[in-house]
Amino acid sequence: MKFSRLIVQVLLVIAVITSIVLSFFIWTNTARYQRGRNIDVTDAETNKNEIPMNQVISPTSVMWHDEDEQYLIYNSNENISLSIQKIMQDWKIGSPKLVTKKDGAYYQKVIQAKNTIQMVYPTAITTNVLGYLLNNDSLKDEDGKKFNRILVNLKDKKDQNIYLANDNNYAVYKAKVRNASAGPITKLVKKANINLKIRLDIMKHGVFTSYANPIKLQSYSYVVNGKKDGEYTTALFDSNANGLVTTEDNGVYSYNYGESKRLVSDHNTDELTFTDYTDTSVPKNQLAFLQRGYQKVINLQDSISNLRLYNANWKNKDLTFREYVEGFPIFKKSQFGSIEIKFSRQGSTEHFVNTVLEVPVPSNQAATKLKSTNDIFKGLQKAGFSLNDIEGLEVGYQWETEADNEKVVDLKPTYYIKIDGHWKAYEDWTNQTAEEE
Amino acid sequence: MDFKRIEVIFLIVFFSLDIFLFLSFRNSQQLVSSTSTNTSTVAEMRKRNISFGSLDSKSGYAYYLGSQPNDDLEENSSKLQDQKVEYEEANHTLASTLDSPISVTSSNRKKIMDEFIKKEKNILYGKNYKYAPQLSSQSQMVYVATSNLGDVYDKTNQLIFTISNGEVLGYTQTYIRSMIILHERQSIKSEKDVITNLYANSEIPNNSKIAYANLAYTKLLEAKGSTIYIPVWFVTIKNKDSKVSTTKKVNAFTGNIIKSSANGDSSYNAQ
Repeated sequence: MKFSRLIVQVLLVIAVITSIVLSFFIWTNTARYQRGRNIDVTDAETNKNEIPMNQVISPTSVMWHDEDEQYLIYNSNENISLSIQKIMQDWKIGSPKLVTKKDGAYYQKVIQAKNTIQMVYPTAITTNVLGYLLNNDSLKDEDGKKFNRILVNLKDKKDQNIYLANDNNYAVYKAKVRNASAGPITKLVKKANINLKIRLDIMKHGVFTSYANPIKLQSYSYVVNGKKDGEYTTALFDSNANGLVTTEDNGVYSYNYGESKRLVSDHNTDELTFTDYTDTSVPKNQLAFLQRGYQKVINLQDSISNLRLYNANWKNKDLTFREYVEGFPIFKKSQFGSIEIKFSRQGSTEHFVNTVLEVPVPSNQAATKLKSTNDIFKGLQKAGFSLNDIEGLEVGYQWETEADNEKVVDLKPTYYIKIDGHWKAYEDWTNQTAEEE
Repeated sequence: MDFKRIEVIFLIVFFSLDIFLFLSFRNSQQLVSSTSTNTSTVAEMRKRNISFGSLDSKSGYAYYLGSQPNDDLEENSSKLQDQKVEYEEANHTLASTLDSPISVTSSNRKKIMDEFIKKEKNILYGKNYKYAPQLSSQSQMVYVATSNLGDVYDKTNQLIFTISNGEVLGYTQTYIRSMIILHERQSIKSEKDVITNLYANSEIPNNSKIAYANLAYTKLLEAKGSTIYIPVWFVTIKNKDSKVSTTKKVNAFTGNIIKSSANGDSSYNAQ
């Protein structure tokens, strides 16, 4: 009697424990099941004809410092920065630790270190965003650490770290790396077919890339394409075209979709502004900020393989994208770049240029030889600007429409200088040519 | 005694609960495994009697290429022997009639013509061309230009032999001296992406065979006196009953299906 009762009790305990264990599994498993479905959805999305986010948000210039000199490098057959990013996806990068902050002299040493490759973003991003772009979990949890340079020493075997540096506050972070080898990157450096000698100078308004000697750069030509207003309204408004109000005033067309959405297309300047008054949530973190910006960009334009994030202003919730050619930004006739996106509680605004680069065509223009950066500074001083006025300096491509063929643009290199918050070509500031005579 | 009965009832209840939980646990796991995507499309295609070899899922890289027209064929046409040649400036095309036709059979024609084009007195720049069975037919043998960048399937860079009654009568030829890379390499769609996409767009009928799937450069447009080429997947689908073949073209950069216009030129359609 007693024995059988014991068995019943033991079995009961086992049954209860099994049910608890099973329910636990089901709970966690349904979670996994749901996550599995999400992954499926994102897979289907990346299968579409889309440029991945880590191409739009990627470093635009790559610099290599050998034993003696520092060079800006580029390979016109293969984008070095995208290739290095691909290599880095296999690295195991630990969480970054602060080395120093606000020490300009030390910072200069870091960004001028020998045998080091550095990739420079046009604007600072956070380690969390980098973790997302590289699909690296240990970086993903880190929030708030901002940087715009990634530095890797390719020769020093004892230094198993990558360094992240931020031009804005001279912060340097160091992160341990495993499962990495310098070999593939060294190979990419050797394959570069553009090597321009540079010096990185810390000035009042940040770090400037100075070209020590006059530089010879190719001109490029592209077939450009734009969309009709109707294509934007179908994509941006809910496809239902009823209730669309159109007004026209001196070539400025406005399309209103009720009170909620509005597209203004200026046919004189080829610029459009789209406002979505229903999109009133402001991104809560840096990653969401960039992800939502990226989503808006791919909704807006089809041909974005040359587009890069140019500036991210977290304070104003404002993103700027610009087209790049061979590692240099293109300055169109507009002030803001190619696409500007702003989030606010009143709704999001997208301001963009209709025309985009589509197909490269051989250029029949000769290469341009630009003055050294030092000569540019001298010219600016002669024109009455002090060095402290210069907020930014960049070699970029000027957008020139061909008179006889408006489907083709010529891109010609020149110096662009930012003074008083405005980017303008050197010619426009000084009435002098930036070309070496 | 009562307490013991309660224990037994509890035991039964919990056991049945365990069985229920176990079953639902297994169910949810099966749901997980059924959510895999692309492989199922491939299985579905096989089920619909569409046959094809193994599909390469590796996506590679390709370029935008550019070339400028030249008249090298005309300038060197005096090197050709035992044939009557005509040159058309507008299309930069050389047309030749052989003095003595070459007899071929469908089984040996590749071997004979491969040998023939190697000699400069027969064909100019013959070493730059390669036989392309995908573009050829009973009455035409098409040789395409090939280089380290890849093959070019385009009438601006081709060698076509005309065959009639088992005899090669002559040929037309176009030639491009060199292609230049216009832009850094870009990733392209894999063979598997392209074929599953064609299937999803109802471009591959049931009961058919994918005879060829080749990646080659083809003309996209002309601008500023140059011709621009892009990589395109040429997929030939053969109906198993009617034996009729159709070739679909897919832009390898974007994955978009290129619709051919009436004059045979692939119309420019990058979106």
